Amino acid sequence: MTDAAGLAATFAPEIVVLAAALLVFLLDVLGVRRLEAVGGVAVAGSGLAFLLVLADLGFAPLAAIRTIGAGAINVAPAAGASPLYFVSSFGLVFQALFLAAAFFVGLASLSRDPHEPGAPIFYGLLSLATLGMLLVALASDLIFLLLAIEITSLATYLLVGYTRRGLRPLEAAMKFYIIGAVSSTLSFFGASLLFGAYGTTDLFRLAAVAGSVGYPVLALLGYGFLVAGLAFKTTLVPFHAWAVDVYDGAPTDVSAFLAGGSKKVGVFAFFLVFLGPVLFVHPGGPGNPFSGAPFDLGPITQLLLGVLAVLTMTVGNVLALLQKEMKRLLAYSSISQAGYMLLGIAVGSPASLAGATFQVLTHVLSKGGAFLVVAGVAGLGVGPLVDDWRGLGSRRPLTSVAFALMLLSLAGVPLTIGFASKFVLFSAVVDARGYFVWLAVAGLLNSALSVFYYARILKVVFLQDPAPAGAVVGGSEPAELPAGGLGYGRAAAIAIATVAIVALGVYPQFALGPIQAAASHFYALGA
Amino acid sequence: MTAGLSEFGFLALSAALLAVGLFGVLTRRNFVLLLIAIEIAMNAAILNFVYFAGFAPTAASGLDGQATAVVLIGFAATEVAVGLAIVLALNRARGSINVAEATELKL
Repeated sequence: MTDAAGLAATFAPEIVVLAAALLVFLLDVLGVRRLEAVGGVAVAGSGLAFLLVLADLGFAPLAAIRTIGAGAINVAPAAGASPLYFVSSFGLVFQALFLAAAFFVGLASLSRDPHEPGAPIFYGLLSLATLGMLLVALASDLIFLLLAIEITSLATYLLVGYTRRGLRPLEAAMKFYIIGAVSSTLSFFGASLLFGAYGTTDLFRLAAVAGSVGYPVLALLGYGFLVAGLAFKTTLVPFHAWAVDVYDGAPTDVSAFLAGGSKKVGVFAFFLVFLGPVLFVHPGGPGNPFSGAPFDLGPITQLLLGVLAVLTMTVGNVLALLQKEMKRLLAYSSISQAGYMLLGIAVGSPASLAGATFQVLTHVLSKGGAFLVVAGVAGLGVGPLVDDWRGLGSRRPLTSVAFALMLLSLAGVPLTIGFASKFVLFSAVVDARGYFVWLAVAGLLNSALSVFYYARILKVVFLQDPAPAGAVVGGSEPAELPAGGLGYGRAAAIAIATVAIVALGVYPQFALGPIQAAASHFYALGA
Repeated sequence: MTAGLSEFGFLALSAALLAVGLFGVLTRRNFVLLLIAIEIAMNAAILNFVYFAGFAPTAASGLDGQATAVVLIGFAATEVAVGLAIVLALNRARGSINVAEATELKL
């Protein structure tokens, strides 16, 4: 499929999102800056692209708009063809998750103050970031992958500081930019070393020759730099310090997109880049990486990723326990969740990939939703500290219950999607035997630890008396929006996320089935 | 294409470029100098692609390496443009582009 029509069919969701972004900027130039217009275009674009991706995944009711035939999915590119991209059902699952995150954030942001400037910039950059995320899920070449990540990164740097007012967002943008630029440099340096070692940047060729390379030192260094570069994007400890400041300083809707959406780009990149090395098991046992002889890259990579995963979840959870501010607490909890997802690739079995992907879905709905609630509640005049939320359960019962469900889902309480995803993930890790059982134990202990700070929030919200009148932080009482002060868009986004959390918690097979099928296809491709 | 410079010498050059760039990122307090440091580090990767293209197993993958280098030069320019946009906004808001003065967000 190299003709124009074939390309258009393959890239239909990307074209829709790109068109939405360009239309938003065009409307801005033409002077149409109404929130409903620009926001509507962006939300409709991500919604339409979401339906297209679901159709390509084989979702029966949408078969009429399917653009990629079933035969063209999950086919590894032919040797020597080097088309840079390929369509896999695993990538499509991630595309659906990315688009869901963009849709929720776009929808919720429709409830912003209509007189505040910057709406076209916000929605245009949101669509561009989404475009980069969609391209990441199609990559079959390391350079294509890294450049797609950079499309997302460049858009999100600007998204953090798009208001151009107030020092906090601008400082967050500056920190985000410096860390992001350094990490992308490390990634590209790693890619250049891998190119030197293997003579190719095609991920399938890399996977095929990993371990049988003439320059093992170059390969090890290359993968090491790549781990460091991608770990920054995925907020893995010890590369996590920026995330808390950025999530804290950014406009909260943008934080929701960063935590719920663009961070998952790094997770998918980890799956794509490291499945090959992890799977490669050389029969002769570990050789000496500094001799020219072939050596076993698999166990080294697995151990490295496993250690990173345990470090990330532990440090994230412990620091979250100490936080007094709501956004920073959620940011640390987001860091610890990245550790759970990394377990999936450290183990490297079809079941663990499915578990990690399901965990990503949990995180999109629960963490993205939680940040959207925080943004809405801040609009009600509630301060940034956890203690400022006391008694919210009696003043805003519906919002509080939705928030509680999101936190319970993050903690992994039964009947929420978080329980289902953690169950699938940890049972897959235990099934892998060996020292992976200890990884699962570490994960379970961490889940128990995380319950403490989620429970503390719930106690403050539901059991403590409201703050005395007049103690509203932020000065004057804000203008009352429809739908309980949140606005229709935000209320709708929160409601959809909450319903999905409970529905998929009660009946996980609806999402788990396609994810497991996609993960096993992906595994078969990588082997 | 490798005349006059050994394999070790060339890798040492790109490693030194990366080290200089990262050192600059860690020590510079001026945002614009920081951008320059990042670009120096980025050039190490670009140089590697050009150099390793000479050792590629096939002529096609050698061209891949050189094409990648050109694309990365373009990407580096884009990255700087975004960085300068942030510098301008920051300068307008605060009147200073000193990174060390960024203390609004506590660590």
